[in-house]
Amino acid sequence: MTAIQDPVSTRAVLAQSAGSSSRASSREASNRVKRTSRVTLAWLATIVFILPIYLAVSNTFKPLKEILGNPLGLPINPTLDNLAKAWNRPDHLIQGGLLNSMLVTGLTIILIIPISSAVSFWISERTPKVKGVLLAIFALGLMIPPQVVLQPIVEILQVLHLDHSYPGLILQNVGGGLMSFAVFVYVGFLRTVPKEIIEAARVDGASEFRTWLTVVFPLVRPATATVAIFIGLWVWNDFLNPVYILGALQGQTITAGIYASLGTYSSDYGQLFGIMFLAAVVPIVGYLAVQREFIAGLMSGAAKG
Amino acid sequence: MSRRTESFRRSLGLAPLAWLAFAMYAVFLVYPLLYSVWQSFTNRSPLRLNTAWVGFDNYTEMFADERFWMSLRLTLIVTVFVTVVSNGIGLLFAMLLNKQTVNYRLMRTLVFIPQVLSGVIVGIIWNSMVTQNGLINVVIRNLGGQGIGWVGTPELATLVVCVVVSWMTIAFCTVVYTASLQSVPAELYEAARMDGAGAISRFRNVTIPMIAPGITISVTLCMITSLKLYDVLAVLTSGGPSNSTKSTAFYVIESAFSTNRFGYASAIAIFLLALTAVLSYITSGLLRRREAHL
Repeated sequence: MTAIQDPVSTRAVLAQSAGSSSRASSREASNRVKRTSRVTLAWLATIVFILPIYLAVSNTFKPLKEILGNPLGLPINPTLDNLAKAWNRPDHLIQGGLLNSMLVTGLTIILIIPISSAVSFWISERTPKVKGVLLAIFALGLMIPPQVVLQPIVEILQVLHLDHSYPGLILQNVGGGLMSFAVFVYVGFLRTVPKEIIEAARVDGASEFRTWLTVVFPLVRPATATVAIFIGLWVWNDFLNPVYILGALQGQTITAGIYASLGTYSSDYGQLFGIMFLAAVVPIVGYLAVQREFIAGLMSGAAKG
Repeated sequence: MSRRTESFRRSLGLAPLAWLAFAMYAVFLVYPLLYSVWQSFTNRSPLRLNTAWVGFDNYTEMFADERFWMSLRLTLIVTVFVTVVSNGIGLLFAMLLNKQTVNYRLMRTLVFIPQVLSGVIVGIIWNSMVTQNGLINVVIRNLGGQGIGWVGTPELATLVVCVVVSWMTIAFCTVVYTASLQSVPAELYEAARMDGAGAISRFRNVTIPMIAPGITISVTLCMITSLKLYDVLAVLTSGGPSNSTKSTAFYVIESAFSTNRFGYASAIAIFLLALTAVLSYITSGLLRRREAHL
């Protein structure tokens, strides 16, 4: 199994034995056929699966005539017109949306990380009974469909005079179900931190706050990465909260803005693909940049959830 | 006593941050939830001056509401379809791509992409394919065929919704199963092979038991995701034709914000929450029990 997983050593072993008998060389040939057919099959499955993405990307760079004449092919006359049309919309959907999304996503992450890591450390230091109760309360947030609390949240924000505002959107991001996720990631990670390290800081007379800031916070960096990546992705992709909290007439986040302006260009596929491309490029580039942490975080987060 | 004051003094520095967290969570999650429960027993609406306690009227109405049953039927169809299909295909994909060469790594990167796209983007991509003048019909017409209204009839539209949601969750399942498979020690397969176990027997007796925790995670999360399905539908079909692709979560939003019936919307929302809790409790319980036995 290991030999198959490592084709270099397989090849080396096979090459060594190749001269010794014709049987070995025929086995090598059959192995190579197997390998090639497996790669081919895997590529076929992959291509079929990501065909929708291919269609969206390749048609972004085609003139409308070509989209309708030859939607499956690669662009014959590649053009940036669709991107330009999307970018130069008079309502500045893309520029405004990207800016608003960065603001909302960035501030949510900046606020939620210290607050949730501090409360997680505080919870970890309680007796098992208190800890159990607190975690059970936080578990609620992992399961509640956002539709259950959305309308009450809109009203609460009205009472606080934060309705139709970015501070309102950001604060409810920080305090809502996302905090549950962050707390579970941090508390889970803190279980793996040796107690001695924290005790040592205590013996030195550091306050809880200092211990958290100088010892715990740097130690839980992998958990912070997981929290930042996933909450960033979810807030960026969130559609329900911005639409109903900011309201349709406000400047929107990119995800909600696209939805709000749907229909105005439903006949113009070129511009539609242009907008989609510009909106999707941020999460995809982000994912490619932190792919390893993304998958590690997904597994560690999921294992605890 | 002095030790207690000492530990109290120490925890003081951190406590304000912890309290801030509890306060925010209380304001933006616990309170809205309780509020929604209370509201579900009232006739609350912004169009009404006075709110009256109506007992279980909203729930009685809900169980007699054909629209509610339609939405629940769609939600359950999509949930079963998506959970079964995306876990099946996700596991097959993970097994097929579970090799460490550059080719396979590239394929994995590509296959994982759909899970970072928002429901809105996924909705637009697929919408551009399945509408009357969408790309699929363009291809069919270019080949001399006749276009099909892929989202024109309730049955076809439901199928399209199932496929599109599965497409998103297949990517997620593939990630989970890939990581699970990579944690299975190769010696186990070697040992099974020595014992004369064939490929199918190795899959049943080695792979499945070893990735059982991954199965629990993947199945439960696919289920929860499908139960609260909303944004893909809003873009892909707008809930049509004739409300056939409005999920229960969709109906909650519509009742709250389009028809302004806060009380009624809350009743449906609380039902959805209870359903999600019960189904995920049963499913993860059943799957965990299997984990323990194996």
